[in-house]
Amino acid sequence: MMVIDTEQLTKTYNGCGGCRGVSLQVPEGCIFGLLGPNGAGKSTFVKILAGLHRPDSGWGTVLGKPLGRPEARRKLGYLPELFRYQDWLTPVEVLSFHARLGGLRPQETRSPAFRNRVRDTLELVGLQNAADRRVGGFSKGMQQRLGLAAALLLDPALVILDEPASALDPVGRYEIRSLLKRLRGQGVTVFLNTHLLEDVEELCDEAAFLYGGELLASGPLHQLINSTGGTNWRFRLGGWLPETWAELSNAVGDTLLPHLRLVEVDDIGYALLTARVTDREQAGYLCALFMRNGLTLYESGPERNNLEAWFLQMAQSRQGGNAQ
Amino acid sequence: MTMYISATFKELTRKRVFLVTLILTFIFLVLFAFGVRAISGIGEQSQFSPERLLNNMVMMMLGLFFAQFLSAFFVLFSTMGTVTGEQENGLLLAVAARPISRWRLYLAKWFGHAVWIVAYSAILFVTVVWTVHSLAGLPILLGDLLRGLGLFVWMPLLFLSLTMLGSVYLPMLGNGICSALLYGLALFSGLVEGITVYEGSHPALDKFFLLTGLLLPTDSVYRRSVYEVVGGADWAGLMTADMGPFSIASVPSNVFLLYTVGYAALLLLLGCRAFSRKDL
Repeated sequence: MMVIDTEQLTKTYNGCGGCRGVSLQVPEGCIFGLLGPNGAGKSTFVKILAGLHRPDSGWGTVLGKPLGRPEARRKLGYLPELFRYQDWLTPVEVLSFHARLGGLRPQETRSPAFRNRVRDTLELVGLQNAADRRVGGFSKGMQQRLGLAAALLLDPALVILDEPASALDPVGRYEIRSLLKRLRGQGVTVFLNTHLLEDVEELCDEAAFLYGGELLASGPLHQLINSTGGTNWRFRLGGWLPETWAELSNAVGDTLLPHLRLVEVDDIGYALLTARVTDREQAGYLCALFMRNGLTLYESGPERNNLEAWFLQMAQSRQGGNAQ
Repeated sequence: MTMYISATFKELTRKRVFLVTLILTFIFLVLFAFGVRAISGIGEQSQFSPERLLNNMVMMMLGLFFAQFLSAFFVLFSTMGTVTGEQENGLLLAVAARPISRWRLYLAKWFGHAVWIVAYSAILFVTVVWTVHSLAGLPILLGDLLRGLGLFVWMPLLFLSLTMLGSVYLPMLGNGICSALLYGLALFSGLVEGITVYEGSHPALDKFFLLTGLLLPTDSVYRRSVYEVVGGADWAGLMTADMGPFSIASVPSNVFLLYTVGYAALLLLLGCRAFSRKDL
């Protein structure tokens, strides 16, 4: 089942900005990342999903219900990007208020079961010790945790998070990543709009790339990264001599040579090379080749910022006018 | 629909809006009581002498005039940023993403404010009238009092409907200025109409009074409220002249009161519609 399904969704602001003709499907139970540079239309798209913006044209469903209808938001948890909660309330009061907005009756929000639920949710996001403090005294990171608690309070089937970790410290980001993995384990679909590519790379099963309001690519993350023609691989070598590059160029052959790059070399013969390889076997072939040429192989492996490379390539190709 | 009653109360009390308002209101009422006591003792006339009755009525008119002023400013400052203000600071984003229709959310907000505005205005009205009644001996009948009270609290609710509608379209400050100007125009129109009792009317002025009354009927409702509280036709004859700008030159009819109900309903309807279509 598709939790989010949009068809030719368009929303512009006096003909500028926004998103245009976005058709996107998000399957149930996955963590989905929405990527794109600033001004790509990500926030507009997310706001349409959350019922905050009305599309100019196109249609879509969220959890099987038409976009914009209150029913579509019944099992939706949403953390906005630029938000604030009532400064004058405590987290417990904020969550009770949101529970009322979510359809709970007053007596339900006063029940012991609900109080336990609030306590558990605050504990989940690490705010158990601030439950009775006024939100006005919270740091940005604590407010973000409270926003996450509000999004998770009513057992959502879909959680839309707009930059959920932008104000968090490394420990906070690690905790949120762990939490999102746990949610996926419970069958909750997470739709993540973030600029933190390492989060996307670690968490997301699928992703989409928006640029200039248009959807350029979407699908499983590993397919997207490989769709640009392979993986970046790095090699740390010893015993590098001035004539080594010429010898390697002859040995590698014309197919691989354009993808091989000498990044750095020092006076005592240590060198860093990168290569764009189609698969692990090709990387293994290069390792064997280096050793046959008398080099010492200290380290070899795929570059961790593959998503970043893919992101930049997508953005640059669009700037150059070559749609993917 | 009732969820905003306690939320608004917490906002008013914890942001100390209520506290500051109540302190200033208390100071006004104490000063007003001193004034009433001082005026009522002048000349030592009989309690029912026309001169003393007129003095007491002037005091009550002044008291209610400033009371409606306070009430209107309470509405203005507590609600001028209801939509765009909360949109700008990010409060509305998480709220509007909940499974509640926008029109219901709008009405819930209106209702949440209305309850406390009515409570504040009613306290203000009853205190002013009770002060004049108890210190100066102005005779007031319960039926008149209740009719006057009903109309007096209706006035800020009308203004609330207008301010909230403005807050859907205009930024907080712009809405505050715009609403205050409209309220001021209605007030000014009422004061000028009071003066025309001496000078006689003019067709152009009559049209101006009618148009401002239709645009924002708060002053008309206030005048009808005062007319009712002083006993309607029984005593109000005294008030139609000799009170300068506070004279009641014309008393709005029941049909006009019905118009104000329709007007408020229309403002609410337009507000619900505009808020439902607004991109947040």
